[in-house]
Amino acid sequence: MSQATATTAQEQSLWGGGRSPFNVSYGKMMMWFFLLSDALTFGAFLISYGTTRFFSAVWPDANTVFKSFPFAEGRNLPLLFVSLMTFILIMSSVTMVLAVHCGHYGDKKGVAKWLLWTIIGGIAFLGCQAWEWTHLAGECGGLWGQFVDVATPVKEYQQFFNMGDAHVANVFATDPLVAMQSTHNFFNYFFTITGFHGGHVTSGVVFNILMLVNTVNGVYERRGHYEMVEKIGLYWHFVDLVWVFVFTCFYLL
Amino acid sequence: MSGHHNHNSIQHLYEGDQSKLYSGVMAHHTDVESTESKTQIKKIWKVFWILLAVTLVEVFIGMKLSHSMPKALLAFIFLGLTLFKAGYIVAIFMHLGDEKKNFMTTVLIPLVLFFWFIIAFLADGNFWLDINSHSPARGGHTEQVAK
Repeated sequence: MSQATATTAQEQSLWGGGRSPFNVSYGKMMMWFFLLSDALTFGAFLISYGTTRFFSAVWPDANTVFKSFPFAEGRNLPLLFVSLMTFILIMSSVTMVLAVHCGHYGDKKGVAKWLLWTIIGGIAFLGCQAWEWTHLAGECGGLWGQFVDVATPVKEYQQFFNMGDAHVANVFATDPLVAMQSTHNFFNYFFTITGFHGGHVTSGVVFNILMLVNTVNGVYERRGHYEMVEKIGLYWHFVDLVWVFVFTCFYLL
Repeated sequence: MSGHHNHNSIQHLYEGDQSKLYSGVMAHHTDVESTESKTQIKKIWKVFWILLAVTLVEVFIGMKLSHSMPKALLAFIFLGLTLFKAGYIVAIFMHLGDEKKNFMTTVLIPLVLFFWFIIAFLADGNFWLDINSHSPARGGHTEQVAK
């Protein structure tokens, strides 16, 4: 009986108004819910990619598609460039969390410094992605809607496959059009999903630049808190989080 | 009902500075050079090194072992390491680990749907591959070449 009374009293104070039962502000909670919906969108893209891949008899090999590095295009350097991109994005996530940390302490200079590094990291990542897209589309001929013509010479898509695999070699020997269809699907998904992710990075960089201007102008200092850095920080970490999954699905598996 | 008698005096908080409605993560600290602050910064960098190390392991497996290991084992290892990294990013970088447990579950429970999505859709893809490669009427496969 006394236990029940205690519980009721506690719930009244928690849900009785005047404070947030979740201990988060409206804006931060809504950012989390937005990210939840965005996670479902990215999830739908990646699961659709997975389904298509499962229904394909063969699939382009990541180590063969992604083997180039700027200024060393002729050499076989699988996964090295995407590792650099991943490193840049993780690094920018760290600088962002340090900006949020400085915001908690009202350290204006620290927030400005780490936001600037985060912006640099984001732009560097986008630059890498621009190079990778240009390379794939230019030298390899892969882009949305490519590899649809049945008269396409086999060697134009054979370059993306691991021909050392007996099953893949067998499909190429009997019906190479199956492999062409897979190549078509692969590039459609690759450019759609990395493009959607790159769009997120771009908007994140824009938000960060706006926040840097506000920080330097003392907007948050006058407001008394740096919660905006925390909210955009959540978005930025989410973009990094999505890249962790994109990296696994496209480059590793 | 202690929350009700001062209803009017808190109204402006909902419309203005919301940070006063809660404490916790945004509670104001003063000294960024304090020991508490430095401990947190140390933790952030520790997570960075963990994420970097796991990524390097993934890249090593992807580069050197991916053609010699069974596909299912490879997928299992990569997905495990990916979820491991995701957990660190969400719990430490996004501070979800510091939020109230109620809020954590509110955010995380809807994601349980993914378990079913992944199982259902991948099984469906597998089924279609099976149908396509065993149907003599379709000449062994039905992969359409888009025009």
